[in-house]
Amino acid sequence: MDTMQTQTQAATAVQTAAQQHNEPSWLINKRLAALDQMADLPMPLVQRFNYRDWELMPGNLQWADSKRDLAQVADGPVQIVQVGQTTVRVNLPEKLQEQGVVLTDFFTAVKDYPDLVQEAFMTKAMKANENRLASYHTAYLNAGVFLYVPNNVVISEPIDIQLIQDNTLDQPLNSHVLVVAGRNTEVSVSQHLTTVGENANLANCLMEVIADENSHVTVATLDELGRKTMAYVERRAYAADNASVNWAVGFMNEGNTIGNFDTELNGVGSRADAKVIAITDHDQRMGVNTKITNRGKHTNGNILQRGVILEDSELVYNGIGDIIHGAAGSEAEQENRLLMMSSNAHGNANPILLIDENDVMAGHAASVGQVDEQQLYYLMSRGIRRETAERLVIRGFLGAVLSAIPAKAVRSQLVDIIERKLENGR
Amino acid sequence: MATLEIKDLHVEVTDEENQTAKEILKGVNLTMKTGEIHAIMGPNGTGKSTLSQTIMGQPSYHVTQGDILLNGESIVDMPVDERARKGLFLGMQYPAEIQGVTNAEFLRAAVNARRAKDDQISVMDFLKMLDKNLAILDMSEAMTERYLNEGFSGGEKKRNEILQLLMIQPSFALLDEIDSGLDIDALKVVSKGVNAMRGDNFGSMIITHYQRLLNYIVPDVVHIMMGGRIVKTGDASLAKRLEKEGYAGLRDDLDIDVALVDEN
Repeated sequence: MDTMQTQTQAATAVQTAAQQHNEPSWLINKRLAALDQMADLPMPLVQRFNYRDWELMPGNLQWADSKRDLAQVADGPVQIVQVGQTTVRVNLPEKLQEQGVVLTDFFTAVKDYPDLVQEAFMTKAMKANENRLASYHTAYLNAGVFLYVPNNVVISEPIDIQLIQDNTLDQPLNSHVLVVAGRNTEVSVSQHLTTVGENANLANCLMEVIADENSHVTVATLDELGRKTMAYVERRAYAADNASVNWAVGFMNEGNTIGNFDTELNGVGSRADAKVIAITDHDQRMGVNTKITNRGKHTNGNILQRGVILEDSELVYNGIGDIIHGAAGSEAEQENRLLMMSSNAHGNANPILLIDENDVMAGHAASVGQVDEQQLYYLMSRGIRRETAERLVIRGFLGAVLSAIPAKAVRSQLVDIIERKLENGR
Repeated sequence: MATLEIKDLHVEVTDEENQTAKEILKGVNLTMKTGEIHAIMGPNGTGKSTLSQTIMGQPSYHVTQGDILLNGESIVDMPVDERARKGLFLGMQYPAEIQGVTNAEFLRAAVNARRAKDDQISVMDFLKMLDKNLAILDMSEAMTERYLNEGFSGGEKKRNEILQLLMIQPSFALLDEIDSGLDIDALKVVSKGVNAMRGDNFGSMIITHYQRLLNYIVPDVVHIMMGGRIVKTGDASLAKRLEKEGYAGLRDDLDIDVALVDEN
């Protein structure tokens, strides 16, 4: 079978599945266009991390219901819970509904709010033709969430997005979370990614955040995809004038994972803050790009990454500060630090500053090291056992990022996960 | 009553750069009991800090000969945390800074480390004890919520060492130049803390260059170290004599053949 023929068959399959799903033609066309260009696009570049042999693009678009009782998630006041492609519940208080806030599953939004979705989906924060995995995602999209906050609405309660990958089935999760925050809005989103079931599947999870003028968006994530899940997690934001986007990513996936976090500071005076914590264990491999692009004047980007590498695992942190010509008066700071807890651990903390403008401030710090023996000696000289002393030092190492996570519930869950990983990983 | 015995202690350190071993302690003998305060004085580079670090169990110091006995039991093969739980404490000259761990959290872990798993200190009792000791040292409560030693001034670090001493209540405290970098007010506060520990169940080995500290913490026994050995032992008046004559005078009196690091 030649490539052309395969390509045609794939297109027919995607088209048939999308039509079965009653999708509008614009979305079907977007899928087909993405599929068509896939082969010509490069894979996302993750420097110093080789994932050439990872199978990240299983080509099947199918619709399947998941058992609703697989979702064991406590009820929250503002919440959407999905297991696989099935939306288990949506809690959106009436007051927010009256204000025009939308929180629903992606395909319902495509039907009910076609203009809003079409305008924002893979148009601003990222495009389907940016890399091969983005185009794969667009072509094979099978789940997702849409959150819309109209102009001037301030939501005090965090919005809880719970996505559970259903590995009792045999299908990838291609999930898209689209967040559109209008002018002068304030919203805080927490996203929890988990896995149920024992099958080995891909997860390709994207999130787009569109932060319009003077909006303030905070996203805290707890990524806990299972050991048998190979994951590509991409999170993108577009910030208009005076908008701010704050990320706090708890990257605790157990399987091989690529993370691509990228914020475009397009508007004048926009700001982004990206904090990432990761712990790797067993023979897991994880590569993370965290990037902030300063495009607008007087923009401010801050990247802070900390990671702990246990056992035989590998963790690569690329911090990328990209200041585009014309972004005068901008700042780009980054700090990438890794702690290696075993002699078989591999780590790389790689600061990349791309600066094409003179009137800027930029700085970086990076380190890869082991637990400081002087610190351990000091703690142990007070009678504290070595394991406890190590945990204190590691917790302290991660503390700079942990303490900055705004959602208290997310923070305490993250602390529990970290404690558990450290307990198991020795 | 607890005892700490140092017997013919010889200690080497390995130079990281050229991997050669250097003998620092060349046969130290010393016995102390709880209820006693011993001062160790001596010129720079004579092995005072080495002695305290070796007793505590700093892994860079290697015992090549002799023994250290705590209540008759040899501790030279014990890891540092076990020695601490058996009742030793070292107030360090350069305490480590640990980001992200609050002073209070650390103190509680240290207090609990010496207690059985089913007998951990209650939050109320801990706070009561902490408040009492903060008052003795004229320290604000805010100090306990700061990260351990991070950004502390020299004086704050020393106070914090003594706060730990008061919280942990060891049998023996080795205090290594606890007076260095302190102004006279801070020196008084630190001394007050150590004096608050004095009693039948506490002994201390105070390492200092200067007699001044010993005006505030009056020792029962003063040892002079030179060239890796204790060369003279006496009472508090020995320190005063030293203040007058200097180490060179004492060396010549005793007819010892050692070079003093800072001698012209």
